[in-house]
Amino acid sequence: MTSVRSPVAGLRNVSREDMLVHGHGACPGCGYAVTARNIAKVLGPQTVVYVPASCLTVFSATYPKSAWRIPFLYTAFENTGAIITGLKAAYRRRGIEANVVGMAGDGGSFDIGLQALSGAAERNEDVIYVCLDNEAYMNTGIQRSSATPFGAWTTTTPAGLEIQGNRRFKKDLAAIVAQHDVPYVATLSVAHFTDFVKKVEKAKSMSGFRFLHCLTPCIPGWRIEPSRGVSIDRLAVETGMWTLYEVEHGVPRVTYRPRKMLPVTEYLGLQGRFKHISEEDVRTLQSWLCRKWKAHYGEEVEEPPCVIARKDEGLGHDGDPLHGL
Amino acid sequence: MAAQALADAAVRAGHHAQAFPYFGAERRGAPVQAFARIDSRKIRVKSQVYEPDLVVVLDASLFELEPVTEGLKEGGRLAVNTPLRPEELEIGEGTEAVTATADATAIALQTLKVPIVNTAMLGVLCRVQDLVPIETVMEAVQERFGEKLGAIAGRANASSAWKAYDGAVVGVASGKRRIARAKEWRPAWHEMPAGTSLPSATIDGVEVGPGSARTNLTGEWRWSTPFYKKDRCIRCLRCWWSCPDAAIDRLDDDYMRWNFDYCKGCGICADICPVSAIDMIKGVHRW
Ligand SMILES: Cc1ncc(C[n+]2csc(CCOP(=O)(O)OP(=O)(O)O)c2C)c(N)n1
Ligand code: SF4
Ligand code: SF4
Ligand code: SF4
Ligand SMILES: [Mg+2]
Repeated sequence: MTSVRSPVAGLRNVSREDMLVHGHGACPGCGYAVTARNIAKVLGPQTVVYVPASCLTVFSATYPKSAWRIPFLYTAFENTGAIITGLKAAYRRRGIEANVVGMAGDGGSFDIGLQALSGAAERNEDVIYVCLDNEAYMNTGIQRSSATPFGAWTTTTPAGLEIQGNRRFKKDLAAIVAQHDVPYVATLSVAHFTDFVKKVEKAKSMSGFRFLHCLTPCIPGWRIEPSRGVSIDRLAVETGMWTLYEVEHGVPRVTYRPRKMLPVTEYLGLQGRFKHISEEDVRTLQSWLCRKWKAHYGEEVEEPPCVIARKDEGLGHDGDPLHGL
Repeated sequence: MAAQALADAAVRAGHHAQAFPYFGAERRGAPVQAFARIDSRKIRVKSQVYEPDLVVVLDASLFELEPVTEGLKEGGRLAVNTPLRPEELEIGEGTEAVTATADATAIALQTLKVPIVNTAMLGVLCRVQDLVPIETVMEAVQERFGEKLGAIAGRANASSAWKAYDGAVVGVASGKRRIARAKEWRPAWHEMPAGTSLPSATIDGVEVGPGSARTNLTGEWRWSTPFYKKDRCIRCLRCWWSCPDAAIDRLDDDYMRWNFDYCKGCGICADICPVSAIDMIKGVHRW
């Protein structure tokens, strides 16, 4: 873990000015809001943002109100890659220098938007594509996407008697985008502050297609305490559920490496969406993670011992704020 | 679920009833609606309720955002979650209604330990209607919530309803000020300057365009408040960076100041502070 007493170096020079201001309607503790706010903060005022259908549109810009101090555009769900291509072309034609950034959800990037994303990447458009990955379709009430991790509960992968939660493993979108041979691909976590700032600054300073993939905790979708999003992202990295790296002009580089692998149950235990998970599924997930770890860090790792801790359920609201409505 | 419990209670009291949700964005804090319809005869209407006799408002800040009392019938009544008395409420120009108020958030925190106010508000509702008695509502709540969330939660919710019933204040609320609605303003595309989707402007006293979300004071959502112990702070900037709601101002000397107009009380700042310079204190405070 980071040394406790030192101020976070990377944050010193970050501007006090926000481009995504307060007053938006995200759930308390929303990981999307932290990520979008800080990316916009680092990119600064010379930025235009496009957001397709997702939580971010609904909580940050319900016409004619907007929490963005920069131009904001919204059209249909599937076309982030195409819209930002067109926006950049229009700005170029008018001679306006601006960061053109698209911020799409995992549904909008992994699934329905994949074609437009691939097209824009392949053409090496001069834009920044941000995937805000909360691992399901949250805006419409928590449906599974191809970003949903193995074992997770969603409303379309319920925990039943026969099958408990999602049966497929998370798709590796950053790797897919990197295969387009674009100038910059990076993965971000809200818990790794300096790493986050460096990557956004690097993306800002480059031209061509830049892809930032962010793991953004979701309070009702992950069934977590509103205060724990950042801590959970940290655990995601320590357990291998998320890895931090960048690929610059085809050269991959790990930007943060945990000293040792924590058992995946440390990560799962804080989240209601994994509450039902069986020992067998934990083993499956853990060995998948060990394979990933080796591929990513280039070294064998011994399987850490997993212990499933069951939280006691109190009044039965199980951390799901919508449960009581 | 509370609308359903009310409908259950109405049926127990010998009426016909239906209850249904409104399908909208599923976000905590996003305005949602639920409806119940009660009659002495069989109900054949299947639509949403457009002209209610009774409106229950779970969050008083909605009066600023939504036309909450729109369609309320002449002689219609209100139940509102607020620590204010009915006379102190502003419900939008031209409306006047017999109103019951109670601080349902405080009651829910006390009885349920979570700020879920729907069952408490059923109690408040019982003070301004006489179709369904409070005892029947409590029975229905206990059963419906008990079934879903366990017997303890069922009883806790019923007691929440009772406490709110017991503590509610009845009076007359009225509207003096015109509450302009942002949604009424729709500029034509040719009124917008090229390059922006919408200019900043104030129309009918409502701020619209870039940054205008500032007028939504989301601090109203809070049920737990961060307390800053400046003497412990090492100015690491983590809290400032990690607040989803930009509710922490980083001062010139890199110490922090909280903006309680917007802090939703999520507790992230306290969770990540490396030196425990922030405590979360139950309740809505400003300091
Ligand atoms: C073509 C199309 N299909 C479906 C929808 C409905 N829809 C709106 S937002 C959304 C979910 C988006 O999920 P994701 O991209 O993961 O973003 P999140 O809501 O999680 O922020 C869906 C399915 C739509 N707007 N357009
Ligand atoms: S549902 Fe999840 S992603 Fe959407 S606003 Fe709430 S916490 Fe954020
Ligand atoms: S409690 Fe949450 S909203 Fe309030 S200041 Fe802390 S991080 Fe921001
Ligand atoms: S996280 Fe704690 S130590 Fe760091 S700036 Fe905030 S209050 Fe100070
Ligand atoms: Mg999503």
